[in-house]
Amino acid sequence: MQLSRPLQVVGHLVLLIICLSILAPMLIVVSTAIKLPNEVYALSLWPDVPTLQNFAHLFEQTAFGRYTWNTAGTTALRVAGQLALGVLAAYAFARFTFRFRDAIFALVIGAMMIPQVLTMLPNYILMAQLGWFDTWWALVVPNLATPIAIFLLRQHMMSFPSELIDAAQMDGAGHWTTLWRVIVPNLGPALSALTIIIFIDSWNEYFWPLLVTESENSRTIQIGLREFLQDDQDDYGALMAGIIFASVPAIAVFLFFQRRVMDTFVSSGLKG
Amino acid sequence: MSMLSPSTGATLNAVAPARRDGWLVSRLGAESALVPWLYLVPTLILLALFTYWPLLQTAYLSLVDWNMNPSQPTQFVGTENYGRVFGSTLFQTALLNTVIYIGASIPLKVLLPIPVAVFLWSLGTRGHFYRAILFLPTLISFVVVGVAFLWILNPIFGYAKQFFALAGYRLPNLLADPDAAIWVIIGISTWKVLGFNMLIYLAGLASINREYIEAMRMDGAGDLTIFRRLIWPLLTPTLMFVMISTIIFTMQQVFTPIDLMTEGGPSNSTTNLFYMIYQYSFVTFDVGGGAAGTMMLFALLMILALLQIRLFDRRAHYKQ
Repeated sequence: MQLSRPLQVVGHLVLLIICLSILAPMLIVVSTAIKLPNEVYALSLWPDVPTLQNFAHLFEQTAFGRYTWNTAGTTALRVAGQLALGVLAAYAFARFTFRFRDAIFALVIGAMMIPQVLTMLPNYILMAQLGWFDTWWALVVPNLATPIAIFLLRQHMMSFPSELIDAAQMDGAGHWTTLWRVIVPNLGPALSALTIIIFIDSWNEYFWPLLVTESENSRTIQIGLREFLQDDQDDYGALMAGIIFASVPAIAVFLFFQRRVMDTFVSSGLKG
Repeated sequence: MSMLSPSTGATLNAVAPARRDGWLVSRLGAESALVPWLYLVPTLILLALFTYWPLLQTAYLSLVDWNMNPSQPTQFVGTENYGRVFGSTLFQTALLNTVIYIGASIPLKVLLPIPVAVFLWSLGTRGHFYRAILFLPTLISFVVVGVAFLWILNPIFGYAKQFFALAGYRLPNLLADPDAAIWVIIGISTWKVLGFNMLIYLAGLASINREYIEAMRMDGAGDLTIFRRLIWPLLTPTLMFVMISTIIFTMQQVFTPIDLMTEGGPSNSTTNLFYMIYQYSFVTFDVGGGAAGTMMLFALLMILALLQIRLFDRRAHYKQ
């Protein structure tokens, strides 16, 4: 589609302004993070003496190493668990007919429409009753069922060529073997896309860890940043180093799988 | 998993007559009506335990008086909590603020991206550079965004302050101003989600056949006519989706910048319903009040959902 000249100029101008307003804060953050304390309040974007001292300071002053371990560990467990349970449930919906199937499918998908705010109080109380408070259990287990993963994987399984499945079953493979040896190896794109979504979602989660983590046992990077903000409000150099450190994994994933991440996020409609 | 199958060594091309399922599945018989349920059980238990049962429990908790102390008995007080929360100035402020948050979100986050997305679409593959930048805020956590803007808006040394000073204007401390603070939060949440919504519209536009546009162009239609007669109607389903997801986003995700940057203040001017529920539940440990607030938010969400269906149902049926 070819727009008229004046519209094109206006369009580029608007887009450039939007992109600039997205990049400017990031530039300021990076610039502050590499400044020495005596330069932090200066307006210039490139410091006279660039330094990585703020990053070192961050890990000395806070338990950021431990928080990183908690975040990485719970994220890895969540990705593996959410994908495994998603594959199992999707298989049941895609390849079996059984009583109440459609009603149960509606119930599973309906859970997507129930925002966390509506269930947080009883879940918080439940964590305390189970003794899961301030442990990895509280971060991982309540998040393991993932309706969006079930929905997407079911779509992919239903369009899977049934000849392949018939052939496998002719060779004596049961449901379990068919699922893990024939279907799952062919779900590559869907699974890697979901991995990225779950990874970013889990890495960046704020509200639930805020409620159930209390100490170095389970506190994640995002909550560590909040704590740092409240304790050391003035150390802006180290704070900016902290937020860069917290953002690197997601941005790295993005740089590696640029197109796929974008397409997946957009087609699933999940917001980070 | 181990419950279901020890069949790790099985390969497909091994010709073996026996079924290669685990003992449990084969004992039940592979066609048994129970098999699908075995695959579903983990998910169903988790959803029941952490989503549906808590929903009912919230309804129950809204009728009791309890301070979350296990040694303290819960006391049934009927609908008293609803009256108390509804009558509080905190609730009225939070409700009004929620309306402002949503009201401001629709032009800024839902409508503004449409023309920009249409332009981006007209660029075709030349727009990739823009897209990559627009997507960046989606990757970064809201905590990071909040902390970054706290520094930029720092009332003494922040970049914003210093830039305005260069231009000879004295920037007031926006986050301490009850009239301005909510707009700071709205601005930041727009920053976070604008590019993402634009990319969703772009995905919606991608399904429009460009030949229609060439045909209209041939018939002498201008840009505006093409937009009004073709693009807008075909984009309505996407618009509805963006609207719903943006409202949920605004209700829920905005919690993070509120918590980090203003803690609901100054004088509750940035508190939304979610933050109010959080304060009732986890700051003052008034479980009944928090649960009653939650139920009222639930009701509001239902009303909004129904309204949207009524509003858009008529027009969302355009199919290609």
